[in-house]
Amino acid sequence: MFLLVAKFMPDKPSDLVQGTLDMLILKTLALEPMHGYGISVRIEQISKGVFRLNAGSLFLAIQRLERDGLIDGEWKPTENNRRARYYTLTAKGRKRLDSETREWGRQVAAIGRILEAS
Amino acid sequence: MSLLRNLANGLRSLFRREQVDRELDEELRAYQEMATEEKMKQGMSPKDALRAVRLERGSLEVTKELVRSAGWESFVETCWQDVRFGLRTLRKSPGFTTVAILTLALGIGANTAIFTMTNGLMLRTLPVRDPGRLVELLHQYPGEPAFNGFSWDAYQTISDGNHVFSDLIVAGMNFFTIRADKLQPQTVFGGGVGGTFFQALGVRPAVGRLIGPEDVHMGYHDPVAVVSWSFWKSRFDLDPGVIGKKIMIGDDPVTIVGVAQRGFYGLSYEAQQDIWWPISLGPSPELSFGLLGRLKPGVSPEQARAEMAVVFQAVVNAPDAGPFMRQMKLRVEPAGNGVTTPLSQMLSTQLTVLMATVGVLLLLACANLAGLLLARGASRQHEMAVRACLGAPRARLLRQTLTESLLLSLAGCAVGIFVAYFAAQGLIRVFASGRFILGAPVHFEALTNPDAHVLLFALAIALLTGLLCGAAPAMSASKTEPATALQRVSRIGESKSRRLFGKGLVASQVALSLVLMSSAALFVEYLSHLRNLNLGFERNHLLLVTLDFARSGYNAAQFSQLSQELVMRLDAIPGVSSATFSAVSPMEGPGAASFAFAEDHPEKRTQASVNYVAQAYFDTYGTPFLAGRDFSARDQDGSPVAIINETTARDCFGDENPIGRHITLSHITLTKGEKTFEVIGVVGDAKYNDLQQAAPPTIYANLLQQGYTGSEHSQLAIRTRIDPDGVASAVRQIEADALKDVPIVRIMTMSEQIDSSIVPQRLIAMLSAGFGALGALLAAIGLYGLLAYTVAGRTHEIGVRMALGAARTDVMRMVLRDALWMVCAGFASGAPLAFWGKRVAASLIPDLPVASPLPIVVAAAIMIAVGLLAAYLPARRAMCVDPMVALRYE
Repeated sequence: MFLLVAKFMPDKPSDLVQGTLDMLILKTLALEPMHGYGISVRIEQISKGVFRLNAGSLFLAIQRLERDGLIDGEWKPTENNRRARYYTLTAKGRKRLDSETREWGRQVAAIGRILEAS
Repeated sequence: MSLLRNLANGLRSLFRREQVDRELDEELRAYQEMATEEKMKQGMSPKDALRAVRLERGSLEVTKELVRSAGWESFVETCWQDVRFGLRTLRKSPGFTTVAILTLALGIGANTAIFTMTNGLMLRTLPVRDPGRLVELLHQYPGEPAFNGFSWDAYQTISDGNHVFSDLIVAGMNFFTIRADKLQPQTVFGGGVGGTFFQALGVRPAVGRLIGPEDVHMGYHDPVAVVSWSFWKSRFDLDPGVIGKKIMIGDDPVTIVGVAQRGFYGLSYEAQQDIWWPISLGPSPELSFGLLGRLKPGVSPEQARAEMAVVFQAVVNAPDAGPFMRQMKLRVEPAGNGVTTPLSQMLSTQLTVLMATVGVLLLLACANLAGLLLARGASRQHEMAVRACLGAPRARLLRQTLTESLLLSLAGCAVGIFVAYFAAQGLIRVFASGRFILGAPVHFEALTNPDAHVLLFALAIALLTGLLCGAAPAMSASKTEPATALQRVSRIGESKSRRLFGKGLVASQVALSLVLMSSAALFVEYLSHLRNLNLGFERNHLLLVTLDFARSGYNAAQFSQLSQELVMRLDAIPGVSSATFSAVSPMEGPGAASFAFAEDHPEKRTQASVNYVAQAYFDTYGTPFLAGRDFSARDQDGSPVAIINETTARDCFGDENPIGRHITLSHITLTKGEKTFEVIGVVGDAKYNDLQQAAPPTIYANLLQQGYTGSEHSQLAIRTRIDPDGVASAVRQIEADALKDVPIVRIMTMSEQIDSSIVPQRLIAMLSAGFGALGALLAAIGLYGLLAYTVAGRTHEIGVRMALGAARTDVMRMVLRDALWMVCAGFASGAPLAFWGKRVAASLIPDLPVASPLPIVVAAAIMIAVGLLAAYLPARRAMCVDPMVALRYE
């Protein structure tokens, strides 16, 4: 996994849990097709600035997802009349998101139970 | 799905690099611009905004590099870079590259050549349907080799009782002379086959049709024949008009109805068959049949063995079977590689020994190249250090050096395959100089065509070699510490462990070439031992003339009279002391084999060679009479008489006097037809077939008494007092005059005939001597390379020593001592290895003179000489170092 999250931010952006970036990107794209910058802004907004992606990890993940057939890329004009590559979730990607979300829920619940028990 | 997509994406970025790069560039630029705009909206100046984005999100260039190097295609791309870079560096040092490639080509070529032979003779399966399910039936009398000839009755019995074979393939093979209009008579191997022969083997016709069951029932009124593809090509030039052509097989006319598929030569590769016809049971039926079975699905060879053993009981218990027959056992052996033949039996051990020898040679080549690469690696330390400083990861440096050694080994492989092809051809020529195996030339071409197995083998050993000799230098290159390497570069620094490793390489080369040379010396000694063996006859001053009486049309009386006249005229040639006729001559090959029974012991049989000889045979060959008398003219009208050799006398009569006793011969193929002879003489043993084996029991019958009319290769032997080649032309003249219709097949001396009987031994001696010399050469190159390199590295040290007062001879002595140490270390490790190798060779080849220490001593002496020679040049260079220059060099 190539998770290179910006480390030199003064303001405590957290490291992502291993393997969760793909899931976050899929989730973001499930709402609407988006370009790379849009994805990172959306993740920052929703996480209220906890997660901040640097370009390297974002585009690596995008390339990986596209090669796995989970997302599709397409060149389109942006609202500012610039060309950008928009990514959409494929059917396979949606399935993967569902299964990963379920799995994530199970794990979080389990970890929560373990932490509460102590 | 996603794998395909991944592949497609990867290929796209490999082959449409520019477009993919441009897209990535555009996408990232858009990303950056959007982020910058966002910052500017918050009131930053464009310059500050860009800076902030770079800080927060990472630089565009790094991102691009990251994304680019993530896919598998970037691995391919860097490999390709390594290959190109490797090729460039190799081209820059042509001397090193040439030596390295040639070294490897010799190692790989020798291995591939020997493997080609092994593959052809021992590993290749027959080109028939499902060869793995074929088994061969053999019968064996306790203590004798197994035979594959069965009588027709035995075949019938086995066929009737068969429940384990889906097909029982029957074929009677022999040599025949084929004649046709406008064609030279030619002796070919072939014979009658059962109706299901081709069908059971799954062979298809190239043209026309093959023999089927219906042909067998047609009888022999209008016999048909099928020829091999190679016969069709060599004799009929692939003319489709061959179908319907009439040819003569021996004296019988047959019509060709088809050509078998290309590549099918019958049931073995080395005894290639060229013609087949339906089994005939007419006036001259085949006497002996080979039997092959195709196992039914689900039947294991063990089941077949058990069932066939029961069926064979019916054969050996037949009412007319002799007492010895009851002791015969049936064997069922796998036949997917072809039926058992004398050639494969003869060569398999030799090839095993040669395979081991060339294996050692390849190891030696590896050690040599590893040494060269190591020395080269040391001189490239600076380059490696610079690359490491510029950020090349260790794995990448490792891969780069390995790529270079793999490139070398692959180039060596390509040249090696080329070398192997010609080497295999050369080996065949040597084989062809041998006496005919089975009586006819063997088609070696099919045995030496490199097939996929051979190519794969060559490639595999090349890759192995590349990894083996590249590993150590690559490790040492990747361990380069940039800082130290850059500092010490002016002194060509040398770590202690690396120097020790280099010395170890030279020592191991010395050890390996010691093994090679001692085995070479061993086989050369073995050869001279073979050439000086007591053969039971006088080998020098003997001329052998082979005559073809096949079309002379002589009857027994004519043959008797003409041959005696010829002998008298030959006796009169100045320099000739005697001359004689025989059916076979010693060391020509095995004669006819028979089973012999002594008069009072019908249950005890001895397998004996039978030869038909004329008067004065034993005088001419120089075989001594131990008792009794020679044949004489009086015998011709009397009862049959025979002379036996010492071994026969001992085996059949024990301590009793054999003179005047009777001995009975029966044919070896279990068919009836016995003959009884009175023993009139006993002669010393003489070797006929194999130099090493003890002479077999031999029985000599009187040529003139047996109604002999001459065969296709009757032997005329002439004992001379002068060089036998000196009388050859006189013999030719007289023969042409005395026997007008009898052509001379060949004239050779007995020494030549003996040499041709030990071709495998000569070959192994010649090859191992060659490999030994090669090994010494490689070790010399290795030693020279390493010493030259060490001396260069010690220039400074030598300068200091000389400045402090060391004499030039001291320096010379120092370098030579170094070399001697390495050679001695090689001896210490090589000698036990050589002794062990000798033990292994002795277990494979009987009669090897392993006890003699001479081979290892000779090898050691040669290695010391080679070592000193290789050290001399570097030592002299060291001696000439000028202290001032060496010190100023710092």
